[in-house]
Amino acid sequence: MAVRTPLQTQSPPAVPEKVNQRFYHLEPAILPEVYHGDRVRAFLDAFAAILRHSNYRFAVEMYARTSSKCGNCAVSCQVYQATGDPKDVPCYRTNLLLDVYRRYFTPLGDLQGRLLHLEPLSEARIDEMAELFYRCTACRRCKLECPMGIDHGLMTHLGRYVLSQAGVAPKGLVVSVREQLEGKTANTSAIPFPALVDTLEFLSDEVRELKGAPAAFPIDVMDAEYIFYPAVSDYLMEADTLMGNAAVLQAAGISWTIGSGYFDGINYGLFYDDWVLERIIGKLVSEAQRLNASKILVGECGHAARSARQFVPTFGGDGVLPVVSIIELTYQLLREGRIQLDPDAITEKVTYHDPCNIARSGWIVDQPRHILRSFVHDFVEMNPHGAQNYCCGGGGGLVSLDETFDFRMQVAGKTKAEQIAASGAEIVATPCANCKKQLRELVDYYKLPVQIVGVHDLILRAIKL
Amino acid sequence: MPLWMVIARGPIFRFALAVFVLGLLRLLLLTLWGMLQSVRQAGDQRIPYGKLLRETLSWIFPFGQLVRTRRIYSFASFGMHLGILGAAIFLGNHLDILRANIGLAWPAIFKPVLDGLSVITILAGIYLLLYRIYVPSSQKLSKRMDYLLLILILNLFISGYVAGQTWNPIPYDGLMLFHTLNGLAIALLAPFTKIAHCVLFPLIRLGSEIAWRLTPQGGSRAVRTLYGPDGRRI
Repeated sequence: MAVRTPLQTQSPPAVPEKVNQRFYHLEPAILPEVYHGDRVRAFLDAFAAILRHSNYRFAVEMYARTSSKCGNCAVSCQVYQATGDPKDVPCYRTNLLLDVYRRYFTPLGDLQGRLLHLEPLSEARIDEMAELFYRCTACRRCKLECPMGIDHGLMTHLGRYVLSQAGVAPKGLVVSVREQLEGKTANTSAIPFPALVDTLEFLSDEVRELKGAPAAFPIDVMDAEYIFYPAVSDYLMEADTLMGNAAVLQAAGISWTIGSGYFDGINYGLFYDDWVLERIIGKLVSEAQRLNASKILVGECGHAARSARQFVPTFGGDGVLPVVSIIELTYQLLREGRIQLDPDAITEKVTYHDPCNIARSGWIVDQPRHILRSFVHDFVEMNPHGAQNYCCGGGGGLVSLDETFDFRMQVAGKTKAEQIAASGAEIVATPCANCKKQLRELVDYYKLPVQIVGVHDLILRAIKL
Repeated sequence: MPLWMVIARGPIFRFALAVFVLGLLRLLLLTLWGMLQSVRQAGDQRIPYGKLLRETLSWIFPFGQLVRTRRIYSFASFGMHLGILGAAIFLGNHLDILRANIGLAWPAIFKPVLDGLSVITILAGIYLLLYRIYVPSSQKLSKRMDYLLLILILNLFISGYVAGQTWNPIPYDGLMLFHTLNGLAIALLAPFTKIAHCVLFPLIRLGSEIAWRLTPQGGSRAVRTLYGPDGRRI
């Protein structure tokens, strides 16, 4: 294996000024005419409507009263660590929104505003919020360090939601969601269903070629135990992951299906808008109900797994379906002895990257490690890992925004690149489509001799069919 | 005892205590009510109470957290909180005032121990103040009230500590007036500033978790409120 050059000596370019300025385009405001383009009024109205129809208000109230602004969150934020810009401290960002709340939604703030003639919310402040809320990767690592327990990830989520309803959202996310919810193909990658069928047939043949036995990709099977929702981009970019998924399900004799009516696990609503979030969850559940599936199975995708797991019980209507991650299921099947993995199939040194959306809460931390250790001889950990992991740098939807490339490489992903280099691993396995895309771009950018794969890509190499 | 001290330790103390206790109690009850309402509205009411309790306790007794990051800052902050709680609640002189006004008190802590805590609090307070002034990330976060509260606490502890020493060079009555006014100011500000965390702290992690429990149709209702019954397109 090639000798690794320490990342620090590869001298990635200093963060250019343009990376510290606006790096993405905003969707033109979709505001009713009544606002006459007044974004300040639109922002305040959106904030008021969201507080009225959600559970955020008392949390915002609590944060506004107790935020001690100690800055402890700064030590855990990889964006701040990379830039050293005080504006990247999570608490600073959170307080931008809290200041609006204090000023316009509390009696004391209203009184102060009137008596002291405080500066009102301005277009410039809205621009600053838009910029900073989309420099956050929503990894929620800072929450672990806040002595008060303020969830800055929640505030990023809320801030983006308010901005979205005031007509400010990144074009990359909006265009994908528009196709998913209002387009003909009903998925974020705009894959027509006939093309999907061709892909699945191809993948099935590939498994036969690789393993000497076929693995079916069933479509529209009624009464299956699982309906399967991978990140739809896997159908375009992660063939090995999907073949690994199908091989596991085939080997264990699991009853599963893909729905022809809806087959996309991606839910960008988690990144920027609860209205979008609830509509996408509604589509997942409707398709499952149409096919009378018993459970929802989510593929290797961190945010898709978290959004389904966390919000199907909320938006899924009556008779809530259980949500299972493919990692959980594979782990269970392995423990039950229903799949066999060849312990000699993987000879490279492997490490595992924890996707924030499934690891930060401690939900999926040990399971993938049990799976990998069961057939990978040379497994090493990055430090820190698990619930304390560093984000890949493309979280919170940033990886889907091409405009953020320089920022993701030079700022948000820098710490992760250093971690990967320090691990000495030849393969990084991670069960997340977004993380994989970001990590591949990172290892290319920093010229690290590392391969980025899904957990099921390795399983595919080792599974006995 | 000078007349001003009689008034400050009597009716003004009772007023400040009432604002402090009732103000914080109001906040606590409103927060609990908000939480209860939110849990009722939530589509998913499964809250991991045990996990949240463990996390909260790990910060109320943060011995394991102090050495993880920013050790000096963490120890300074912890020391200052310890000093504030110790001196405010367990100093014999304070308990005498409390007993005289509401007929309620508890055993005091040995004064030399509290003196030691006061010194720690003063040193910690100075460090935290300098940190806010000179460290850019902290400076950017800080507002006038953040400095004011730290200065009030430092005033309170320095004057209280010096007044209790035999070598005190400052006239006792004047120093006590300064000490008392600072103490009353802190009590009066508590319900309206971040000092409110003294009662809300145990609820914040639980509150964050509950806030993530969204309300069914909450997004659709917000859109209808903003854009009318036909909603909007993406």
